[in-house]
Amino acid sequence: MSLKTKALGGLILAGCASLYGCAGQHSEAALQEAGANFQKVKEDSNVLRIAPKDVIRAGESLARADRLSSYWGSGSDVAHYAYLSQRYSEIAREHTDQVLNEERAAKLELERQRLQLALRESKLLSVQQQGKWIEEQIVATATTQTDRGLVMTLGDVLFDTGEAELKNSANRVVLKVVQFLQLNPKRVVRIEGYTDSTGGKQENLKLSRDRAQSVADVLTDLGIDDKRIQVEGYGDEYPVDVNASERGRAQNRRVEIVFSDEKGQMGAAR
Amino acid sequence: MSIRPLFAALAVLALAGCAADPAPNEQMRLTAQALEQAKAVGATADEVPEMKLAEDKFNRAKGNMADQSFRNARMRAEQAELDARLAEARVLTLKSEEQLSVLNTRIARLRKQVGDSQ
Repeated sequence: MSLKTKALGGLILAGCASLYGCAGQHSEAALQEAGANFQKVKEDSNVLRIAPKDVIRAGESLARADRLSSYWGSGSDVAHYAYLSQRYSEIAREHTDQVLNEERAAKLELERQRLQLALRESKLLSVQQQGKWIEEQIVATATTQTDRGLVMTLGDVLFDTGEAELKNSANRVVLKVVQFLQLNPKRVVRIEGYTDSTGGKQENLKLSRDRAQSVADVLTDLGIDDKRIQVEGYGDEYPVDVNASERGRAQNRRVEIVFSDEKGQMGAAR
Repeated sequence: MSIRPLFAALAVLALAGCAADPAPNEQMRLTAQALEQAKAVGATADEVPEMKLAEDKFNRAKGNMADQSFRNARMRAEQAELDARLAEARVLTLKSEEQLSVLNTRIARLRKQVGDSQ
């Protein structure tokens, strides 16, 4: 054997060793990380309760990676099983978070139903107390059949000036609408907000949408599925009266509830 | 005479190669299924990084299958399966978080209203 080939052989050997060293270090780090992660999920009682299978698989893959790490030249296998273990731990963690959230949601759902009942009762009570009220004072409600379908108008008096929140005096109409929707479970509604022409276009558009949304919110709060409610804001478009007079402007500031037919078929939006 | 053991050794080696890495058809099927499932809950490669990993690795695994490089195919497909399952789990957790926040908003609104009307 010549000196040249000897040197070459030595070089190749050194190259192999250094490559192996790199791979070994890489897989060693992966193994340690997977181990740390597994330790964390293993000690979490929620994870053990909710995702025991994934924890077991994380442990098995880790054990395999650990076993392989004592063999020469198994770097890529070690990294592979460490990766799988790491993934199983992460899946266990995600799965646990999801189930914990769902458990929390179930509790909150009960709370929501309780509050919904309480709200309905208090609104009924207030309507009974207000029973003597003169009709016009409560609402300027009119239900008319238009080419858009059945439309109920909630007048300006139900909102404070410039505010989007529905006043308590609207309880009666709102309860009526809720009752109607509960008796007609297939019907859906589109709630449309309108303003008069005072103020900027953008503010009017926003106010009209916010008012329509707040009516929609109350309906949802009282138990109507929000999938049945569509919300639109039209700003100062489509006035029903002139904007020149105070009376006309008051007429134009309104929220309209458009009802679909009994099959849930809605007229086209404006 | 002296060449025979060499042939025998070669044959054993070839057999061992086959035995160690058969075509991972079942794993490929499992991975495809995991990817389908993740897609079904709405995981996309653009939004969930693990989904991108899963798709890339699965494509490479398919290439390995075509090249008969079964060991690589199996490892990539195994990783892709878990990447896809993690992507799916992340999407579901995110959805449950959104559901929680919707409920919390509704409850806050209800509390306020119940408070207001009493």
